[in-house]
Amino acid sequence: MGKETLRNELLKDLSDAVVDMDEDKAKETSQRVLDEGLNAYDAIINGLAAGMVIVGELYDKHEYFVPELLMCADALYAGLDILKPHIKPEDLGQNAKGQVVIGTVQGDVHDIGKNIIKMMFEVAGFTVHDLGRDVPLEKFVEEQMRTDSDIVALSAMMTTTMMGMKKVIEMIKEKNPNVAIMLGGAPVTKDVTELFGADGYAESAGNAVQEAIKMISRLREIHK
Amino acid sequence: MTDITPKERIKRFFHREPIDVMPVFSGQGMVTIQAIEKMGIRFAQIHTSAEYMARSAMTTAEMFGFDAVIIPYNMCTVPEALGRGASLYENADGILYPTVPSKWKTLDDVKIDSDFMTKGRMPLVDDAIRILKSSSNGKFAVGSWVLGPFTMAGQLLELDVLLKGLKKEKEKVEEFLSKMTDLVIEVARHYQDLGVDYMNIREMGSGTDIISPRMWKMLVLDNLQKVFSALRSPKVLHICGSTDMIIELMNECGADALSVDQKNDVVESRRKLGNDVLILGNFDPYGTMVQMDVSGAESVIKKCIDDGVDAVWPGCDLWPEVKKENVEAYVRTVREYSKKASPAVGRI
Repeated sequence: MGKETLRNELLKDLSDAVVDMDEDKAKETSQRVLDEGLNAYDAIINGLAAGMVIVGELYDKHEYFVPELLMCADALYAGLDILKPHIKPEDLGQNAKGQVVIGTVQGDVHDIGKNIIKMMFEVAGFTVHDLGRDVPLEKFVEEQMRTDSDIVALSAMMTTTMMGMKKVIEMIKEKNPNVAIMLGGAPVTKDVTELFGADGYAESAGNAVQEAIKMISRLREIHK
Repeated sequence: MTDITPKERIKRFFHREPIDVMPVFSGQGMVTIQAIEKMGIRFAQIHTSAEYMARSAMTTAEMFGFDAVIIPYNMCTVPEALGRGASLYENADGILYPTVPSKWKTLDDVKIDSDFMTKGRMPLVDDAIRILKSSSNGKFAVGSWVLGPFTMAGQLLELDVLLKGLKKEKEKVEEFLSKMTDLVIEVARHYQDLGVDYMNIREMGSGTDIISPRMWKMLVLDNLQKVFSALRSPKVLHICGSTDMIIELMNECGADALSVDQKNDVVESRRKLGNDVLILGNFDPYGTMVQMDVSGAESVIKKCIDDGVDAVWPGCDLWPEVKKENVEAYVRTVREYSKKASPAVGRI
């Protein structure tokens, strides 16, 4: 089998492992990627992450629901744990220095969507500073300044806690207008994102995957 | 309006007997900042004093002309009594509802003490119900709510553990949900024994934004049927979020009425369920009562009635920082626009 054919086969297996929620298959295939001397980063992005994009689409089509999404994420992490130590710095480019502050705003303890976004940033090679859930608003500002992160990702599941996001965005943009702000959560819409002065949004766990990828691509273009 | 008291109006409503106008009430919290400010207290205080809890409900109902009072206001009283704590945000700037800070991390951690009803703020809620029963002088209906078994499970156990467990440890999760069912029945029966006039079971975490209709049928339906068969009428099932795909299953649970939020297509639900089922809903309380202007709020309320609800309920707790004029428009519009019979309830 030619190397390209083998690559394509293993990438598909990785993607399928994520879509099929198959942690064992994700581990075995990831190990095979390494054994065959294939590129780990390529396997993560075009195999595992590509599978997660399909999962996001299945969620939006009501074929998958949150339990399935979480199981798919577990399969992705099972592969990522094996492949990540073998990523070459040159593969990551600017993302090697990329940093994200992420958390669920104060008053909100829902963190499933936040954890999905966190995973996608980890997949892309970012260093993620996860503040957890129920995070006081000023903590986001402090952590962004401490780490000089490129992105602050805020999550809120409830309309009422979403209002706290506006304050955080104002505080961060005042100190550093170049920070990209991403909002996520059920009540977040395009209008809210524009009104609050944020740079990206994800209204469901499904489109969080796509939106994270879009934002990462946009940052890559900015960094070129 | 005739001289029917608000309490009598709601009683007749649930019996589907003719009433003068649609009652204005809810199965979720209805406290407003206007009442809290009138009392000279802060929002965080209404969760920790039976007197404040009861009086803020009563003051709101009197101020706006609601037909009922309803408590408690937060979803942490049972988790707190089971040792999971409660973050009350007493020093926060705006309004933040209490949350549960330390959920069980695994199914093996689950431990339900038999005396939990005497712990935390559970006795305080009991006292508040007693105060409301005695101080409303039979004028207002007194309502209460308890989370449904699945939602209660998500308040007590880390949600990802619960949701993944539905697939990975199905038997253990079923056993846990069965315990939750017994617990919900115990709490809801207790409030009924204290004399509440209607009981709402809020299975709000089980919409199809989260779990599939198939999983709902497997893990939620049976437990809700057990809950409703153990409760006296009037009893309501409320689910927020996406409910279009499960509305018919919701109707198999044994509740006297179904409450849905703004994501439900009520016209379609009414078509599926027919005119005998009491449907309650379905406006977005934050968007309608906090963000819109008065005319926008009026339009939303009229649309709920036109779509075929039997009473206009908010899809969740009223966010306390409502615009006073919008709540007034809500009550006024319901009274004026609901003179003709709703699908399930006639008019005098």
